[in-house]
Amino acid sequence: MSEVRISAEPRTEFGKGGARRTRRAGKVPAVLYGHGTDPRHISLPAREFERALHTEGGANVLLSLDIEGGNELALPKSIQRDPIRGSIEHVDLILVRRGEKITVEVPIQLTGEVTPGGLVDHQLTTLSVSAEATHIPSGFEVPIGGLEIGGSVHAKEVELPSGTELVTDGDAVVVHVLAAPTAEQMEGDLDAEAAAPPAEAAAGTGDVTPDTESGEGGPAESADTAAGE
Amino acid sequence: MLIPRRVKHRKQHHPGRSGAASGGTRVTFGEFGIQALEPAYLTNRQIESARIAINRRIRRGGKVWINVYPDRPITKKPAETRMGSGKGSPEWWVANIKPGRVLFELSFPNEVVAREALTRAIHKLPMKCRIVTREVGE
Repeated sequence: MSEVRISAEPRTEFGKGGARRTRRAGKVPAVLYGHGTDPRHISLPAREFERALHTEGGANVLLSLDIEGGNELALPKSIQRDPIRGSIEHVDLILVRRGEKITVEVPIQLTGEVTPGGLVDHQLTTLSVSAEATHIPSGFEVPIGGLEIGGSVHAKEVELPSGTELVTDGDAVVVHVLAAPTAEQMEGDLDAEAAAPPAEAAAGTGDVTPDTESGEGGPAESADTAAGE
Repeated sequence: MLIPRRVKHRKQHHPGRSGAASGGTRVTFGEFGIQALEPAYLTNRQIESARIAINRRIRRGGKVWINVYPDRPITKKPAETRMGSGKGSPEWWVANIKPGRVLFELSFPNEVVAREALTRAIHKLPMKCRIVTREVGE
């Protein structure tokens, strides 16, 4: 996997005000740490960093950061995004060294068509693997074409490239093919619900234990009402 | 219909409407989801209606997850009643939805049908929503 070179600047402003000013300037606030060093607060150019995440490495892209004349290798450890806009709010970067083995989450892609009448239950979307920092696999392909209903693929059955070791429990189920509910079963569910008594739902008054009622609407309150009118 | 079996307090204050969702903002179980873009009180009837809309469209071969639960009671005073005399009686059960929250998730092999099913469900909901897909990695 190739490295992406990004120039980073040290950050002197902190807190939400400083972070917002950094974002308005088209940068992403970030923190760089690892190997027992003190955390360093930096800012990355937002567009370049976003572009780096769309390269082959994806979220495990290896970054070569130019900071104040020096150069550091780092991997994104955590990326915080705005839930609505999707823009990056903050990035945690972890320092790595060439040749060092690190544990990363690598995405799994399912390939092939599920057998007719089957429903894919994709339980693990990433696999935790140990790999060299400069040779992180971009993803694992798991074919599901040959899986019958009831069949499954376990983590240990996923083909890993040489130099990569599985960290996730080998017996963990990656993908499982279930029998899809038939149209009759789904309609049956709907009919049963339609036949159910209409919500005594007046907010579940009958479902509440009597102790929670504290005599509201009792005589005293009625008297108040009468007096008020 | 989703109703809490037992509650500690029958009448509660109105749930806060400000801010954005702090969790449950990503698709985690299925492949597609409905994400709220506005705050709203989502009643159990609306949740049920949206769920039925999805199930009727996909018919078979899919799975639906409901990520929200209507656990907040909203009260209402009867019509033509003078003010005072205590809080009204519980009328609805709602889920307090904030922007960004993923409400429903769907796993279905055909993307076109899945999007159509979710679009139909969005029409049953009281707020602006969009269809989101599961992000790989991150």
